[in-house]
Amino acid sequence: MSRFGRVRSEADAGWRSFVRRRTAVFFTFFFPVILIVIFGALVRTDPTGEGLFAESPAYYVPGYLATVVLFTPLSRMGSEVARHREGNRFEKLATTPLSRAEWLVSQTIVNAVIIALAGLLILVMVVALTGARIVYSPWLVPYVLVGVICFCGIGAMLGSYTDSRDGAIAASNAIAFPLLFLSETFVTLEQLPGWFEPLVNLSPLTYFARGVRAATYPEAGTPAVAGVDPVLANIGILAAVAVVTFALGARSIPRTD
Amino acid sequence: MEAVVDATDLEKAYGETVALSGASLAVERGEVFALIGPNGAGKTTLVRALTGTTTPDAGTVRILGESPTAVDRATLGVLPQDFSPPDRLTARELVAYYAGLYDDPRDPDDVLADVGVVDAEDTWYENLSGGQQRRVCVGSTLVNDPDVLFLDEPTTGIDPAGRRTVWRLIEELAAAGTTVLLTTHDMAEAERLADRVGLLADGSIVAEGTPESLVTEYGGANRLTIETEAEPDAFAGLEYPTERVARSHAPRASSGQSGIVVRDVPPAEIGVVVDFLEAHDLEYTGLSWAEPDLEDVYLSLADETELERTNRLGEPAVAESTPAEDAVQPGETT
Repeated sequence: MSRFGRVRSEADAGWRSFVRRRTAVFFTFFFPVILIVIFGALVRTDPTGEGLFAESPAYYVPGYLATVVLFTPLSRMGSEVARHREGNRFEKLATTPLSRAEWLVSQTIVNAVIIALAGLLILVMVVALTGARIVYSPWLVPYVLVGVICFCGIGAMLGSYTDSRDGAIAASNAIAFPLLFLSETFVTLEQLPGWFEPLVNLSPLTYFARGVRAATYPEAGTPAVAGVDPVLANIGILAAVAVVTFALGARSIPRTD
Repeated sequence: MEAVVDATDLEKAYGETVALSGASLAVERGEVFALIGPNGAGKTTLVRALTGTTTPDAGTVRILGESPTAVDRATLGVLPQDFSPPDRLTARELVAYYAGLYDDPRDPDDVLADVGVVDAEDTWYENLSGGQQRRVCVGSTLVNDPDVLFLDEPTTGIDPAGRRTVWRLIEELAAAGTTVLLTTHDMAEAERLADRVGLLADGSIVAEGTPESLVTEYGGANRLTIETEAEPDAFAGLEYPTERVARSHAPRASSGQSGIVVRDVPPAEIGVVVDFLEAHDLEYTGLSWAEPDLEDVYLSLADETELERTNRLGEPAVAESTPAEDAVQPGETT
């Protein structure tokens, strides 16, 4: 059993704990749905080709997916780490065989399942409400998974370095909102000042958005990276970032006071 | 015999606050060691240093011959103070969750039976009473059948019957060879469970020994408490040292009333004191006689710390002694 058993036990407890918080479950799924309704059905894409939503509906699929791939891990991990710290749970876990990395893997699995379900709901709603025509690429699965790993690592750091649950949630919102709109998701590069374009490349979400777009909406003409196919190149970059953020996130989880 | 828990000259400060200043202790296999001391004395910091969840600034710790971070964690059971496990899980799910973190865990049902929460095993943790919650937390430390058990205030919030269940459990574990280090504010708990007691004050252990030896050394004289409103001067003619105990500092007065404590009265001489009361028309509502116990040790050694903390050192807050005060043993409540 060993490592697998520990991860399974932790993930099982995390999953049960989550699904029994009805408001948390409801708003986890309600948040992306309401965004799709507002952006996709009420604001809608401008048919004249101007304004905020000037692209084809399929262009915004990565943005809608990002509402869960980005927000859910950041806020859930941030508050989960803070909650564990406040309840001295890490002090207890530090004296069990469960390692910090195993704890983070377990929490990431829980987040991945939640986000996979929410992602499916988003795809169905985007197609139904906006009429987006997308390719149902199998690449969506690794992109969502790697994105969740990446942002769970960042969320763990937020929870570890803030001093309360309130602080963790506020910090996650402060980081997630700018990233959501400045990572080639809802706002194209052409709509941003020229000097800002290099900064877009600093956001991990940019590579998620470019890769998912290349996989689901080939007509967008997502550029290759150093001659490598954009789907492959962007998942590679995102995976590299995910390895770093996951390692830093696991390391940041408090073992001692 | 090599100590299972061995700490030497531990020091730890949080900014300018000194939590540990040269604390040392050694606990042998199968021994129950109770740490007592006032709030803020450093008990929790010491437990954390022993379990590797805080790093001391100086000093060494060995658990089963290893450093706390290198020791096989499957051999440890730790109950932190103010511990709150994951919510929205039943008592059984929580015990099963912690059991799942070990390779060879005990059956969660057996653990729940041991801590006496079988009837509430399907109740969410947050819906359990405070005492039941604490019992589940104690259960979470037993799932791996640990060789060394650290319990930081294990019976806080547990009712008397439940407390005795936990006490019996600890006694059985110790009898089976488990080494137990616990902290407590309950002197009866320490006196019943501990093979040895260490009193921690201001970050260091100021007294250590068996409960009996500590009582002999620091417990002071036996005491006859007279529940009366009479003034101390009225007892000047008694051949025994007396002192007035104020209402808020009269833990030994059976009704909580203020009274006079007469020390060093042998049981056979109680009648002499009664005769004195009647001869001098001193009204009283009750008499109680008690031998010194661990609480007296605690009060004699720790009360000064409490008075310093409340800026009352030097005030006659605890007792107003009669001229016989000189006869009171050093370290007694003054």
